[in-house]
Amino acid sequence: MEARIFEHASAMPAPTWYFLHMNDATIEIPAQLSCEAQAVIETDAPLGDATEFVEAMQAAQAAWDKAYGDRPVLTNAVDEQAEELGGLALSAYQKKADAMEQSKSLAAAFTQGMGEEVSDWIREMAVKTQSVIAPAGSTHTAHVQISGVNMGANMTAIDLVAHEGATLDVAIIVDSPTAGTGVTGSSLRIFAAEGAHVTVRRVQTLDDTWTDLDDMGLFAADNATIEVHQTVLGAGKTYTGLAGDLCGYNSTINVYTHYLGHGEQELDFNYVLRHHGAKSTCNLYANGVLAGSSKKTLRGTIDLIRGGKGAVGHEVDNVLLVDEGVSNKTVPNILCNEDDVMGNHGATIGHIKADQLFYLESRGLSPEQAEQMFVTATLEDAWLNAANDVTKQAVARLGNTLVENFEEVYL
Amino acid sequence: MTESSEKKRTQVDDIDRSMYDFIKDESNQEHLEAGLTPEIVREISEKKNEPDWMLEKRLKALEIYHELPIPDWGPSIAGLDMDHIVTYVKPETDQQASWDDVPEDIKDTFDRLGIPEAERSYLAGVGAQYDSELVYHSMQESASKMGIVYSGIEEALEDPKWEGIIHDHFMKLIPPTDHKFAALHGAVWSGGSFVYVPKGVQLDYPLQSYFRLNARGAGQFEHTLIIVEDDASLHFIEGCSAPKYNVANLHAGAVELFVGERAHLRYSTIENWSKNMYNLNTKRAICKEGGDIEWISGSFGSHVGYLYPMSILNGRDAKSSFTGITFAGAGQNLDTGCKVVLNAPRTKASVETKSISKDGGVSTFRSSVVATKNAEDSAATVSCQSLMLDDRSRSDTIPAMDVKCKNVDIGHEATIGRIGDDKVFYLMSRGLSEEEARTMIVNGFAEPVSKELPLEYAVEMNNLIKLEMEGAIG
Amino acid sequence: MSDALLSVRNLSAGVDGKEILHSVDLDVEEGGVHVLMGPNGAGKSTLGHVIMGEPTYDVTGGTITFGGEDVTELSPDKRSLAGMFLSFQAPVEIPGVPLSSFLRAIASARPELDMKRKEFRKRVRELADELDMDRAYLDRELGVGFSGGEKKKVEMLQLLLLKPRLAILDEADSGLDVDALSVVSRGMELYRRECNGTLLVITHNTRILEHLDVDKVHVMVRGSMVTEGDASMIADIDTNGFEQFESLAQAR
Repeated sequence: MEARIFEHASAMPAPTWYFLHMNDATIEIPAQLSCEAQAVIETDAPLGDATEFVEAMQAAQAAWDKAYGDRPVLTNAVDEQAEELGGLALSAYQKKADAMEQSKSLAAAFTQGMGEEVSDWIREMAVKTQSVIAPAGSTHTAHVQISGVNMGANMTAIDLVAHEGATLDVAIIVDSPTAGTGVTGSSLRIFAAEGAHVTVRRVQTLDDTWTDLDDMGLFAADNATIEVHQTVLGAGKTYTGLAGDLCGYNSTINVYTHYLGHGEQELDFNYVLRHHGAKSTCNLYANGVLAGSSKKTLRGTIDLIRGGKGAVGHEVDNVLLVDEGVSNKTVPNILCNEDDVMGNHGATIGHIKADQLFYLESRGLSPEQAEQMFVTATLEDAWLNAANDVTKQAVARLGNTLVENFEEVYL
Repeated sequence: MTESSEKKRTQVDDIDRSMYDFIKDESNQEHLEAGLTPEIVREISEKKNEPDWMLEKRLKALEIYHELPIPDWGPSIAGLDMDHIVTYVKPETDQQASWDDVPEDIKDTFDRLGIPEAERSYLAGVGAQYDSELVYHSMQESASKMGIVYSGIEEALEDPKWEGIIHDHFMKLIPPTDHKFAALHGAVWSGGSFVYVPKGVQLDYPLQSYFRLNARGAGQFEHTLIIVEDDASLHFIEGCSAPKYNVANLHAGAVELFVGERAHLRYSTIENWSKNMYNLNTKRAICKEGGDIEWISGSFGSHVGYLYPMSILNGRDAKSSFTGITFAGAGQNLDTGCKVVLNAPRTKASVETKSISKDGGVSTFRSSVVATKNAEDSAATVSCQSLMLDDRSRSDTIPAMDVKCKNVDIGHEATIGRIGDDKVFYLMSRGLSEEEARTMIVNGFAEPVSKELPLEYAVEMNNLIKLEMEGAIG
Repeated sequence: MSDALLSVRNLSAGVDGKEILHSVDLDVEEGGVHVLMGPNGAGKSTLGHVIMGEPTYDVTGGTITFGGEDVTELSPDKRSLAGMFLSFQAPVEIPGVPLSSFLRAIASARPELDMKRKEFRKRVRELADELDMDRAYLDRELGVGFSGGEKKKVEMLQLLLLKPRLAILDEADSGLDVDALSVVSRGMELYRRECNGTLLVITHNTRILEHLDVDKVHVMVRGSMVTEGDASMIADIDTNGFEQFESLAQAR
C-alpha cells in the first residue's frame, strides 16, 4: 500500500488565522502497510450493506421535503448601499453555508468529521461497508473489536441504521493486544430515524506505536437521540472527527469525550454539530488530562442554522495540564444565523481549579498526588464505564503499561 | 445618572446620523496616480522629505505586499480593487498650529464632529487627520510642560531628537510580513500621531485624535506610534468617520503601542467609518514588566472590518484588558476581536466582548489567547456574548486558545442568543414601547463598554446604538 | 498552652486585605462535642476553612495548634494527614474522577488505611449502606449530578472512612430534607461511637444538635468570638436568637 498524506483532514468549517496551526490536521499514513479489514462485529441485529444508510437518508429527504420543501430559504438581508458595493462581503465559509441551505439537500449537507478524503480512504481500505440495522421499535446491541495488526492498516466501515423508535447500543473497542506498529481506524455513519435512540461507546487503548482514525457522521431525525462516548486513552497519534446533523424537530446529539494524553502522544479532535431542526439540542462535553509531553487540539463547532428555532447548543472542554511540556489547543466555535437559539461554550485549561484543589488537599492529597489521581481516575473511569469485558481487559492492559500495578491496585 | 450627564445625553440625542455623511469638495486636492508601484512609493516618500531608511522600509514593505496572499479566512475583500484605488490623497493644506488657520471647510468638518469643543472641555490634546495628512494638532500647555510630546509622525521624524526613537520602534511590533495590509501600510503609510510620555509622567486627562476620510475611493494609512515610558500613564482616544460613497474606501492604519515597566496605557476607539469602508486596521501593544494595556473598542461603521488589537505581555506581571463592542447592521460584515500573547510569568489578560447583529449584518468575534512556555502562573479569561436581533443576520464566534505552559489558568465562556421576550414584555408592561424596550436592553448589553468610555464618547456610542435601533421593529 | 486538641489563639484572617476574623480564640477538647454558632455572615465558615488552611484566606495574626503542634503554616493536606477533617458546606464537583477512585486516592495517602483492594471496596460499600447511599454513586463522577443530600452523604462517608481525630462539620444540615438530615445525624453518631472522635459543628440552626450530647457552645458575631457556654445555651439561642450577643460584638 502507498503512503498517504491528508493535508486538510478534520478541518473546522469556519477557519481562523493560519499562524495558530489549528484549522485542520495533517495525517500521514506510512508506506508498505498491508491492507487489513479485520474488525469483528458481534450483534443480535440484522446486518446489511451500504444501501441501508443511503435509503434511510433518501426517506428522510422525502419526509423533509414534504414538511419543509415549500419553506423559503432566507438569506441575510442586504440594504441598498451594500448592493452598490457588490452585496454583503461574506467570507468563503459564510457563502458556502448559504449555498448549502439553498440546496435543501440533506445528503449534500451530511459530512463526516474527518472530511470526505479520509472517510473515502477508510471505506476503500475497509473493502466493504457493513450496516447494523435496528428495525422499527426493536432493541439491539452490537460489539465491535478492532485490533492493531502489525504493519497493517486495519480499517472498518460501519453504518448504524436505527429505524423508527428503535434502540441500538454499540460498543467499539480499539486495542493492540499484541506488540507492533500500524494504523487502525473506523468510519461510522449513524442514522437515527424518528424517535430512535442510538448509543455508541468507542474506547481506544492502543500502545504508542499505533495511529488511530475515528471518523463519524451522524444524522438525527425528529425526536431522535444519538449519544456518543469517545474514550481516548492510547495511540501515539489519534484523530477523532465527528460531524452531526440535527435535522429533526427535538433531535438530540450528545457527545462525551474523555481523553488521557501521555508520553509524546498527539491527539486531534474535530467536532461539527449542525442544528437544522427546531428545538434540537446538542451537548459537546470534553474532559481530559494531558501528561508527559502530549499535545492536543480540539476544534468544536456548533452551527445554529436559520430555521432551527429554539435550538440549544452547549460545548465544554476542560483540560487539566499535568506536566511541563504539554500543549493544548482548543477552539470552541459557535456559528449562528438564527436568532431564536441558545448557544454557549466554555473552556478551562490549566491546573486544578483552586476550589477543587483545596477540597482534595483537605482530604490529605498533595497537589502532585491530586494530579496523579486525575491520571489514574481517567483510566478507572473508562474501566468502570466499559460496556463489556473485552473493553475492561483492554483498559486494564493499557493501564498496566502506564501505571505500576494498575490492575492490582486500582481495579 | 447625574443631572449633568442627563442633560448632555439629551443634547447629543438631537444630532442626526446624517452629520457623518456630508462630503466636502475634494476637487482641488492632489491625487496620486491609481495603482501601486515603487514609483508611487518613492513619490510619497519624496514629498515627505523623510530619511532614507524610511524609504527603504517602504520599498521592502511593497515587495512583501506583492508577495503576500489576500486573507481567505475572513470577510470577502473582493470589493476592493487594489489596482485602481487611489492610495493617497493629500489635503490642500499643511498642518496648522492654530485652529483659526485651518481652512474653513475642513474646520467646518471638525466643528461638526465636535472636536475643538471636546478639546476645550477637557481633552489634553487633539490631533485631527483629514484624509492622509494631519491638518490640525494642538495640546494643552500643561501636558507639554510635563514633557509629553504629541505631534504628527512626519513632523517628529524631522526632529533629530525623535528620529532615532521612531527608527527603533516604527513597524517593529507590526512587521510588514504580518499580513498583506500591514505590508501595504508599511509601503504607503501617511500621517498619524507620535506620542511620547516620559518616565514617571502621569497624564490624568486623555489625548485625542480624530480621523476622517473624505475623498471618494481613497485609502487612509495613518500610523500611530505611542511610547509610554516606565511608571508613566496615558489615555489615548481615537475616533474615525467618513462620508458615504457608493465605491469602496480603504483604511489600513497601524497602531504601535510601547508600554514601559509599570506604565499604564488606555487606548479607546469609537470607530464609525461609513458603510463603504474596508477597515483593515492593525493595532498592537507590547508591555514590559508590570505594564498595563487597556483596550476599549467600539466598532459601528465600515462595510467590512478586520480588527483585532493585540497585546503582547512580555514582562512579568504585565496586564492586558480588552473591552469591545461590535454592532453589525445592514450590509456590514465585521470581523473583530483581539489577540493576546502571555509570554512572561504572572501575566494576566481579560477579554470581554459584546456583539450585536441586526438587519442582515454579520458579526464575527475572533480571538486568540496564546500562553507560551514562559507564562508560568499566568491567567486569562475570555468572555463574549452575542446578540442576534433578527433571523436575517449572522453572528459567529471563533475563539482560539493555545496553551504551552502547565501552570496557567485559561478560562473561556461565550453565549449567543436573542433578547428574551420576557424582558421586553416586562419593560413594555411598565409603559415603554417595544422599540424603547429593545433599545434599553441593547444599551444595557453594551454597558460594560460604554462605562469605560469618557462621558462624551459613551453618549456618542449610546446615540449610535439608538440610531441603529430606530425602526428595528418591523 | 492549653492541652486542648485544637487550640486557636488570637487568630485574625481575611481576604485581599479585608479582615474577616478578628483575634479569635477557640479551644476544642479531645473527645468533646463543640458547637460553633452565630448569625449568617458571622465568619463561622471562614473560621472552619481557615483552620483547615484554605489558601484563599490570609492569616494575618495568631496561631492554630492541633494535637500540640503548631499547624498555622501547614498546607491543607498536611493538616488532613495530621487528623483534621472539614466537611464542606458545598462540596466541589470533580468531573472525570469517579467517587471510588477519589476515595482510594485519599485512603492510600494514609498508611493506616492501607488495605487490599477487595477489603477496601468492601469497607466503602459497607459505609455506603450504613448511610443509605446508593452504591451506584461510587462509580459516578465525584459530585457531578449529585443532589445536595447525596453530596452530604459523600462527606459523611469520607468522615467515617478517614476516622480523623477532629471533624469540623460546616453547616452539615443546610438545605437537607428530613431523611438526609437523619443520615447526617447518624454519620455524626457513628463517628462519635466508632472513632471516639472530636466534633466541631458549625451551624446556625439548632435542629441538627437534637441527638447530640453537646459539651460546649461557642458564639461568633461579626468575625469575633463573643461568648461560650454549656449546652443550655442552645435552647436560649433557639428562643431568643442572636441579637442578645450583638452588644458583646460591639464591645469588642
